[in-house]
Amino acid sequence: MQRLRARDESAMTLFYDKYSAALYGVILRIVKTEEVAEDVLQEGLVKIWHSFPSYDATKGRLFTWVLNVCRNLAIDKIRSRQYRVSSRTQPLEGSAALRQAAVPTFRPEHIGLQDMTAKLNPEQKQIIDLLYFGGFTQSEVAEELNLPLGTVKTRARAAIKVLSKLIR
Amino acid sequence: MNTQDYIESGILEEYALGLLSEVERAEVERRAAESPEIRQELATIAAALESYAQAHTHTPPAGMRERVLAGWQAAIHQEAPSSAAPAGPATEPVVRQLVPEAEAPAARFSWLMAASVALLLFSAAANLVLYNRWKDAETSLVIAQSEQARVATTMQAVNKSLASRTAELSVLRSDEFKSIELAGMPAAPTAKARVLYNAATKAVFVDVRNLPAPPAGKQYQLWALDQGKPVDAGMLAATTTAGDSLQQMKDIGSAQAFAMTVEPEGGSQNPTMETLTVLGKF
Repeated sequence: MQRLRARDESAMTLFYDKYSAALYGVILRIVKTEEVAEDVLQEGLVKIWHSFPSYDATKGRLFTWVLNVCRNLAIDKIRSRQYRVSSRTQPLEGSAALRQAAVPTFRPEHIGLQDMTAKLNPEQKQIIDLLYFGGFTQSEVAEELNLPLGTVKTRARAAIKVLSKLIR
Repeated sequence: MNTQDYIESGILEEYALGLLSEVERAEVERRAAESPEIRQELATIAAALESYAQAHTHTPPAGMRERVLAGWQAAIHQEAPSSAAPAGPATEPVVRQLVPEAEAPAARFSWLMAASVALLLFSAAANLVLYNRWKDAETSLVIAQSEQARVATTMQAVNKSLASRTAELSVLRSDEFKSIELAGMPAAPTAKARVLYNAATKAVFVDVRNLPAPPAGKQYQLWALDQGKPVDAGMLAATTTAGDSLQQMKDIGSAQAFAMTVEPEGGSQNPTMETLTVLGKF
């Protein structure tokens, strides 16, 4: 981190080795095609490099921050019009990313996807996936699933609480 | 709301998912700065999401590491000269609100719909107005055209009558013509007419001053008297009889006197002496 802050370009190689698999997994989960995921990851690195001075360690962990940078880029990508037209109709469950077995990389306490999704009930999982990976707003989720907005909010909170308990 | 209730309310989860508005986000950050418990809770939630993201870890395909790092390096060196580039992303918040962008397309679409309907209605109304004006214009045009045709006809008639009047005037003013006054005979004492005779061209014109209207089926006939012998000089038209205008008669070689009689329509070979109306000599 210090080296990144000092604009040391070789630090980016280390950063890549440490985070790329996780970031790539999330991006791929959102954009669904490998070519686009690669582009987004590269854009993400550029953005992280440029925005690094604005990263405030007191506000959150580095991984959360870079995750959000990449997630926002990926969501922007699928929200761009032409992408929407071609991919919006593709079901989430059919995506290649979902079928991938989780590979633990840098966190020793890493919990596998199977364990996590086993704890979430299907409604909670569906909502968290739409919100976190689908680029949907809560109102869009409510519309898509034909649920009241309140129910969507409740399930989203419950889902995160479940996840928090898992790592507590 | 105390800290525990605030944590329980679920707003921190929404914050971590990036679902809050700017105002709500600022409020969460303010409370987090004040309360270590909230900070702790936020960290746990972030870690939960991190581990959920982590669970999706996917090893990139072979060769991607080199491509991405090379692309990244090219991008940052290309952008480096323009110092403005880093400023843009730096100011953007990491947790972003998605709501405004999400609603934009639908809102834009309905605005477009409303605008198109309004335009359509406006266009229809404008068409109606223009159609009515066009109809009016067409009617006026038809009127103007018939008026113009009428004026043209009148003009033609006027020109024609002007031409004949000019011809008459030239006859009356000419020195070549001799004027012979024809006086009324016992059959019509008040009758009066004049003959204009050009001995050189043999042209004969009649100028009626006053003649009684001929009975139905009858017409005045002009006779030239040459050495006491009557020669037909033509029939008088109804307009000439009424004194409307000069009338050119048949050419006459030589004559010492002119006379008019009333004859059946079309004229006679010899004058009916009982109906002799006017007579005049040189």
